[in-house]
Amino acid sequence: MSFKKYIYGFALAGTLLGAGCKKDLAVSNPNNPTPDALNSESGIVTFATGGVYITGFRSLKYSDGVYGPFFSGAMGFHELMADVIGADAANAFLNQMGCPNSVTFDNGTTVLNPNSPNTQYALVRSSNQNANAGSNFLYYEWSFMYNLIGAANLMLDKVETVSFSGDAASKKAAIKAWAYWWKGYAYSRIGSIYYAGLINNSAFATNANYVTKEKIIEEAGANLDKAVTAAKSATSAGVFAETLGKIIPSYFQTGKGAPVTAAMLERNVNSLKARNILVNKTTATMTATDWNAVLTLANNGINSSDNIFTARTDARGDLYTSGQLVMGRTYSSLAGGSTYKISERWAQEFKAGDKRKEQNLKQTTPYLGQADRGNAHFTRWALVDGGTGLSGVAVYAKSTPGAYELHVAVDYEENELMKAEALINTGKIDEGLAIIDAIRTLQGAGLAAVSGTGLSLAQAKEELRSERRIVCAFRGISFYDARRWGVIDPATSRTGAVALTNTGVVSTNATIKYGYLDYWDVPDNELTYNPPAAGSAPVKNPK
Amino acid sequence: MLWYDHYKMFFKKANSFNNSININGAKEKMDFAFILSDSRQQTVFKNNGDFSRTNLTANIGVELAKGLKFRSITQIVRTNDTQLDPTGRNMFYAINNARPFANFEQRDAKGMYSPYFGDAVGVNHYNFNFITENAKVKDLTIDVLQSFNLNYRVNRFVELDAKYGINRSSYNSRYEIVDQTANEGAEFWQYWAEFYSPRTSFGSPTTGSESGEINERNFVNTFQNFTANATIKLDFEKDLKLKIPLKSATLVGWDYRKRETTDFWSYGVNSPDFTPYRAVNMAEYKIATDATTQFATYGVLVNQHFDWGELAGASAGFRSDYSSAFGQGSKPFTFPRGDLYIRPSSLGIWQNAKFSNVLNEWKIRAAYGEAGIQPGAYDRFPILGTATVGSQTALSTPTSNANPDLQVEVAKELEIGTDFGLTIGKNKWFSNASIAFTYWARTSENVIDRVDVAPSIGIGRQLTNSMTLKSNGVQASLNLNVFRSKDWNWDFTANFSKQKSWVDKVLNDAQLIKLSSAGSTSYIIKAGDKIGQIYGYIFPTAVNQLDPNGVPYIDPAAQKDYTVASNGYVVNKTTRQPFASAKQYALGDPNPKFNMAFINSVSYKGIVTFGMQWDWVSGSKLYNQTKEWMYRDGIHADYAIPVNIDGQTEAWSSFYRGAYAVRQANGTKSYFMEDASFWRLRNISVGVDFTKIFTLKGFTKLQLVLSGRNLITKTKYTGMDPEVSSGTSNSAWDRAVDNNTIPNIKSYQVGLNIGF
Repeated sequence: MSFKKYIYGFALAGTLLGAGCKKDLAVSNPNNPTPDALNSESGIVTFATGGVYITGFRSLKYSDGVYGPFFSGAMGFHELMADVIGADAANAFLNQMGCPNSVTFDNGTTVLNPNSPNTQYALVRSSNQNANAGSNFLYYEWSFMYNLIGAANLMLDKVETVSFSGDAASKKAAIKAWAYWWKGYAYSRIGSIYYAGLINNSAFATNANYVTKEKIIEEAGANLDKAVTAAKSATSAGVFAETLGKIIPSYFQTGKGAPVTAAMLERNVNSLKARNILVNKTTATMTATDWNAVLTLANNGINSSDNIFTARTDARGDLYTSGQLVMGRTYSSLAGGSTYKISERWAQEFKAGDKRKEQNLKQTTPYLGQADRGNAHFTRWALVDGGTGLSGVAVYAKSTPGAYELHVAVDYEENELMKAEALINTGKIDEGLAIIDAIRTLQGAGLAAVSGTGLSLAQAKEELRSERRIVCAFRGISFYDARRWGVIDPATSRTGAVALTNTGVVSTNATIKYGYLDYWDVPDNELTYNPPAAGSAPVKNPK
Repeated sequence: MLWYDHYKMFFKKANSFNNSININGAKEKMDFAFILSDSRQQTVFKNNGDFSRTNLTANIGVELAKGLKFRSITQIVRTNDTQLDPTGRNMFYAINNARPFANFEQRDAKGMYSPYFGDAVGVNHYNFNFITENAKVKDLTIDVLQSFNLNYRVNRFVELDAKYGINRSSYNSRYEIVDQTANEGAEFWQYWAEFYSPRTSFGSPTTGSESGEINERNFVNTFQNFTANATIKLDFEKDLKLKIPLKSATLVGWDYRKRETTDFWSYGVNSPDFTPYRAVNMAEYKIATDATTQFATYGVLVNQHFDWGELAGASAGFRSDYSSAFGQGSKPFTFPRGDLYIRPSSLGIWQNAKFSNVLNEWKIRAAYGEAGIQPGAYDRFPILGTATVGSQTALSTPTSNANPDLQVEVAKELEIGTDFGLTIGKNKWFSNASIAFTYWARTSENVIDRVDVAPSIGIGRQLTNSMTLKSNGVQASLNLNVFRSKDWNWDFTANFSKQKSWVDKVLNDAQLIKLSSAGSTSYIIKAGDKIGQIYGYIFPTAVNQLDPNGVPYIDPAAQKDYTVASNGYVVNKTTRQPFASAKQYALGDPNPKFNMAFINSVSYKGIVTFGMQWDWVSGSKLYNQTKEWMYRDGIHADYAIPVNIDGQTEAWSSFYRGAYAVRQANGTKSYFMEDASFWRLRNISVGVDFTKIFTLKGFTKLQLVLSGRNLITKTKYTGMDPEVSSGTSNSAWDRAVDNNTIPNIKSYQVGLNIGF
């Protein structure tokens, strides 16, 4: 055929083109490194930063700017349920998760939870459906903490194969200590709020063997111990500190945020272990053995000069902005002017003359909000950004980039108050009160000492309670206290509460019945894609 | 108290101008056409910016030698857009959620607008005047499209064709927010333009960027396509002198495509105290994105076509492509196709039959094809996230992982159809008609989606070949010449289409979540459900109503507390709130049962032309999220509608507030899922060509056209427009939500077409 040559020509052209184009197929993603980047010293160090501060605390598939990531969202949910703050926005049921079953005002009228469902127990179940996606508030803490565990597992996987220059043992020790510390932290958070959890030692994989919260707390302890062991295995304290110094963002390394030494890490671990015991039992069921265990750990816990694990903002918002911290979602010019509204019950914790109140709270035109969104979030108080200018008095909200030091895990004040609580509850009332006085002095409260004034056990407990409420606020741990003190139990109530009606009438002896679930069910997003294997612990709180 | 009409305050009538000059000609072995067109559009929002596009096209063809033709088409398009809110949704949301006593035009003592007027105006309102005053945007897009085509008809058997095209689109966006620290309203409410402006800014207001911000984005997309085809035609009767009416056409082709993009975003925050200033004067700056992608695919296609006279034809072929998404060394993906047709009306027996006077054409056709849909350029390459942290860098695990095992998505489509040609009337009326009918069925296997994984894995989602989707439908059309005479011509067309699309299989039979870009409504993907199925809480209409599993929505013991209100919903007798189911259920298929269009066109002597099109969409559903938001603070007019509950008639705000709040504030509820069927006068136009009336020297055409779009709509939908979708554009999943989307506008056009 006469056109055969064209076909041959065409086939030849095609072959040439094919050969020429083959190189176009050889692409890889030119924008980001692959997981192989973790096989180098600098890679694993860089991942130790992002795996914790981004994967662990900032980025999830579901998000909502109204409550934000872990330090404002997940931590904020605890503060809402602890009545440190209130909310009327309904994103992820913010207004409902901390809405009491009833508030009885001084005139005898009772305002029930106006929402539907009208109890927090029912709300938790109604919220916890996979179909609710990011509106399910139970999803966040679980997912952030398993992100953190997954990132830590990846570090632990890689650390054994990476070849480090110089003092490899000390560098490895630092990375392992860092990874085990955050795993321990994550399991502490999981076991202190979820009814069951998973023990996961692999990166990018999971298992379906759910265990009880008690087992999760045990696992937290085991990882925290490994962190200490790893830290102590460092042959050079200098290299250990230098490695952590490369992991922790430089702008965090001010105040108490500089790298911990092995000894400081051990004290941080002891404080966290003390907290894990303290917050996972109700005070009523604490035995002398429990109190002594808390006291022993706290006595070996964080010192006033110890470095701890902190987070800060910067001007560019590289990791977090002030709005992504609970205090940054709370401060406002006008009462109720922010997403989170300072609770009347938090404002009432300050004793008369406490300079910290003068420094941090301002009474303005009351925020009265909508009566159909809640019964307790109305308030006269605004948290002041930067304080009112009293020198030497603690400031609880600072929006200026870098000014606010968020204590991510445990801190000196919390550790001291754990000591104080254990002492008071084991008959050493005055020793405990002396610690409270010291903390007040440290914060510039300007209050008269309570130790040596002959306070009764009940009075001492009240001093401790109100001081802890103030000092431990905005860090995602206040709900633990509300739970263990029995405040949230549906059968009990808080009396003597200051409360505002929707019309602005102030009650000073109101009774609030909270009725909040003590431990959450496992989030349905997990259960849908990872149903419990046979022999798993119950994933739903029977309450 | 003064009441303000916020629509009047923020909306205006907008004008658009379209002009075009067309010069073309041909001379011996060359032809050319030059077109210059210009379009200027204002938006219906005051101070929201405007839009203009200028387009220059040059099309030149040259015959280089006998049978060898060369053509070059060049197009340059410049698009200038200063709209702060191109969709208008943010602005619409801001004003729909404001009570009418707020005067958004009020300025403070310093002459500034306040961004917010307090919760009493409605917590979701904000003053868009504040936004337009503090934020400015300029988007400039330059598109250059060039194609060359060389066509060589070697002889009557062989034709060679080579085509190369390159499209380069460069987009530059500069978005500036001015210093708002001096604005007392902004400072007091801590409301910054960055929060509420519809554009993406990178600096966060809480980090000091309320004192000014400049964002700049440069995006360049280059697409190259080279195709080379050889067509070999053979007529067995003519060329081979065989006594069979067989014709053959063979196509062998080569197709190469390459796409490259670069994307660069930078921003500076915290402006200096002096003016004017540029980004370089900002106290903090950062590169937010620097990304590039390359994707190439190439392969061969072969198609063999046979025709047997006019009676039948069939073709079969395949295409086989390599893709860079699978890397070097991967195998090509090969997909077949084929079609065939039979025209019984071409048989002598038909043509001799009596009925052929009326039914003069009948064709049956069928086609089948498979195609591969490639994953995205880097969907198979797992990566780590990167970030700058102060002076350090950070790597992190991404929230959504790539998947090295990802396979090509395969689409299979079968189409069967038939066409009829009819001669009905012998006279001027109904002289001829054609009817076409098509049935189609499509299957998509290995559909790639970012699907949820268990959070304990430490990531959020993973790209997965996760489902099989199916759809089928029918399309029918009727073209009828209603009347034809020397002066008059009237044509009528009716189109009908119906389709259903559903999820056939889901990996591990899981329930997948699909978020809507239209707000809080989310879709659920479950085997057996329709595509685009919205889930939500059911409002029962009978106290003892059962759910799809036969369980009563309301616990029988509690049913005594409920009654049916006069508007048909079950309400609590005490709280007067409607009852919402505890769980979420499918809220009915949002897709229309069918779509129809009726088109008439009439002309008289070529002087007057008249056209009219009515569209009918039946059985569609739309989730009225706009209304639900307006229920939040009692802003919607429904609050004034009385309802009889348990013997008492009143405009119970507890009912309406409850509709928004029960079970989940702003949760998705059957109450807001509405019938969105409609009839719409899509288009009506009248044209008069004056050159056909008078002799106008030098003009070949002088036509004045008056037309209107969307002038009449009949619907039961209570929102502004039953035809809107606020979801992801072109998404099959995300299209049944109306969340403050600007309705299709009624428009009137005046056009003048001049020909020389």
